Amino acid sequence: MNAISVRALAFVIGLMVLFAIPKLTGNEYVLALGISFAALSVLSGGLNLVYGYTGLLSFAQVGFFGIGSYTAALLVTEQNWSLWSGVAAGGALATAVGMVIGYSSLRLSRHAFAIVSLSFALLCMIVARDWVSLTRGAMGIPGLPAPTINLPGGMRWRIAQPADFYYLLLGFAVFAHALIYGVVTSRLGRAMRAIKLNEPLAQSQGINPLAYKLLAIALSALLAGMVGGLFVFYLTIVDPSIFDFYYTETMLIMVIIGGPGSFWGVLASSAVLTAVPDLLRFTTDLRMVLYGVVLIAAMLLFPGGLGGWLHRRRVARWRQPRVAP
Amino acid sequence: MRPRGRSVDLNFYAQLLLNGIVIGVIYALIAMGLSLIFGVLEIVNFAHGEFYMLGAMCAYFLTVNWGFGYWPAVLIVTAVAISLGCVLYEALLGSLRGESFERSILLTLGLSMVLQNGAVFLFTTTPKMMATGLSYSNIIVGELRLPLSRLYALGLGLAAFAALYLTLYRTRVGKAMRGVAQNRDAALMVGIDPRAVSRLAVAIGIGLSGLAGAALAPVYAVHPLMGFSFVFKAFAIIIIGGLGNVSGAAIAAVMLGILESLVGGFLPLVMVDALAFISMIAVLLLRPQGLFGRGVRV
Amino acid sequence: MTPVQPLLEVRGLTKRYLGLTAVDDLSYALETGSVVGLIGPNGSGKSTSIDCMSGFQAADRGQWFLDGRELTGLAPHRIARAGLTRTFQTVRAYDELTLLENLCVAAQENDGVSWMQALLRGKTLRGADAAARARGLELLATVGLANYADAPAAILSYGQRKLLAIAASMMPKPRLVVLDEPVAGVNQTMVRHIEEVIRKLNAEGVTLLIVEHNVDFIMSLCSRVIVLESGSKIADGPPGLIRSDPRVLAAYLGNKRAAELDAGNG
Repeated sequence: MNAISVRALAFVIGLMVLFAIPKLTGNEYVLALGISFAALSVLSGGLNLVYGYTGLLSFAQVGFFGIGSYTAALLVTEQNWSLWSGVAAGGALATAVGMVIGYSSLRLSRHAFAIVSLSFALLCMIVARDWVSLTRGAMGIPGLPAPTINLPGGMRWRIAQPADFYYLLLGFAVFAHALIYGVVTSRLGRAMRAIKLNEPLAQSQGINPLAYKLLAIALSALLAGMVGGLFVFYLTIVDPSIFDFYYTETMLIMVIIGGPGSFWGVLASSAVLTAVPDLLRFTTDLRMVLYGVVLIAAMLLFPGGLGGWLHRRRVARWRQPRVAP
Repeated sequence: MRPRGRSVDLNFYAQLLLNGIVIGVIYALIAMGLSLIFGVLEIVNFAHGEFYMLGAMCAYFLTVNWGFGYWPAVLIVTAVAISLGCVLYEALLGSLRGESFERSILLTLGLSMVLQNGAVFLFTTTPKMMATGLSYSNIIVGELRLPLSRLYALGLGLAAFAALYLTLYRTRVGKAMRGVAQNRDAALMVGIDPRAVSRLAVAIGIGLSGLAGAALAPVYAVHPLMGFSFVFKAFAIIIIGGLGNVSGAAIAAVMLGILESLVGGFLPLVMVDALAFISMIAVLLLRPQGLFGRGVRV
Repeated sequence: MTPVQPLLEVRGLTKRYLGLTAVDDLSYALETGSVVGLIGPNGSGKSTSIDCMSGFQAADRGQWFLDGRELTGLAPHRIARAGLTRTFQTVRAYDELTLLENLCVAAQENDGVSWMQALLRGKTLRGADAAARARGLELLATVGLANYADAPAAILSYGQRKLLAIAASMMPKPRLVVLDEPVAGVNQTMVRHIEEVIRKLNAEGVTLLIVEHNVDFIMSLCSRVIVLESGSKIADGPPGLIRSDPRVLAAYLGNKRAAELDAGNG
């Protein structure tokens, strides 16, 4: 009881500090880092749900992110949709695409899913570049307007300043992580872990693996698409680089370092890996080379990741001779 | 007027067909290696495209900076790629077992990130043209204009096909390799050394990739991101041909090459790019084991 | 002769691999409440037949019914939900979950809680979860693993894992449980213990079909034994008759397994 209330208190204080940052500092660099963290952590959290909990290695996240971005940007600028309906449409389209990819490939094997999801992400970038009549090609759609949100009571919030975007994206990230947390700590998350740990056993117990896998993919696609739709108005431009493999590699590293299947671990590593490389001022190429080395080293030296290590420790503790209870 | 118009049409089709076959053969070189490695090791090599890029880079530097001819450069690159394949197996892939599928992907993905971004860091993303005499030579057959560089690439591809076919079907180790791809457990029981077979499969796969890069270096611009866009088609091809089915991959590759070329003659570019992906999804929905069945349990 | 409907009815089950017939036109029926053994030499099609029945392999021909409901061709999870659960020869458990979680997972698809109810965590969910925990603890006590309810399954010995698998197969209150080699590779003490557990569960009304190599174990536990050879049923009856059946003796003699059967006799 005590430990739980201490944790809850720490969580509430942490959240309050995060929301107070724009009041404490007007530093735009800090706000920019916070916005990056909010967006990237939603992507890595979704990947963790799909890979860490359900055991499906997916490269499709960046595709969902970009689809959400383009959809929201096009609907808001060309069809005069409101921000939220554009973002919701982006999330819905990403989810639909995710279901098609997941359903078609998962019936064959998880090998096929990994391959198809990668092909999908690369295809997205190429389509964004070459379908000029829709996406305006490599130049993208620059100069996205500052969106306005209607608040209850007739107030209108024009999101123009970095602090506005910080609140918007942080608020959405809190919602997204609450949703993911709700799923992974429920019996749905338990079934996903069961499928990852031993799929035939789960099937023999009445669990339908395809249904849970599609649920995980759909949720991660929805959140990635929506966060893309919000993030793109902060960038004020959407072009094919929204599908850059850089995002995929970054969120993979966040999940691997944080520990696949560890909610708080991935959240923490997302924060650290957003801030540290930026503060050290690595160029992107060099950062990707380093990430690659980290990935190889992690796979060779810690095949089970952080989760595997924790599991071995727990097993060792139980195996110690104990006084009979 | 009419006969003339038809001959122009035919000429146009023939040109498209030839381009399609050349690109298809090169797809096949890459996809067969990928499929062979998957069949024997149950590893999807995400770094496969980077060896194609390295092959092209090496060929560029050998010819432009060090004055080697086209043929010696191709030979050297292929030999280097085969040795790189052995090193890759001993250093990284040999420690993986079949059940650690996700690990193998992340490992080879890490390698791909290092190679690709390392190349960007060292050489920048500026495309380099390997402008040798070869690039502008043509053979004229009737009204057909056949670029020599493409014909060379085609010849190299076909020679590599023949060599791979002879290795797989006429040598003991090749038969062992097919045995492992078809039934891993049975192959282990009859005393095939899985390490030797796996090492050879990786060496051949990487060798083919390097060869493809060198062969195509005079045809396309050489740059660090070239492997990336290529390998995504190779992934689609091995699913279309049936995961682990090497000949299936070769046939699917040539089919895709021709189809892309013909579609490219009439439809917008975006359709060409999407063709491989749409075909893959269609095959997955209609015939999940691939057009030609699978050579390996998945 | 059988006025009541059998619990399980298998008709003409056939499975071929590459021209080899692993299960050949197999038919039998099981009565509610019975404990039936399925034995036969290596490669006689025992495991293949139950893999087909539980949906893990596609049968080439044949039909099977549980309580009159046809299960032919259903996916494994649907067969499990219909009330036919199973264990595996290669013992399976969720190593990173606790024993109690292992059991609760096994019941969660059968208690009627929807995904939405699971996420909103209302009364329905709490009631179902409490019931699952209670049943899980009870089953852990039955198989003798209650002390480890909160330990990860990875700490269990091989025999203990078999017990956990048996307990998990009982969780959703199935109509029929198929045990695939429940005592293969465990020591004699554990064999006795597992035998006791199975008797206890049967006394509570569970019907069991047991696939085993250990003829001794089957003969002492089962009221009826079905013998397969080369995919076909060659004998079906009470243990006493099976022991003296000439075709069974021939099948086992021909496969150097006479010693096993002898041991059962002695």
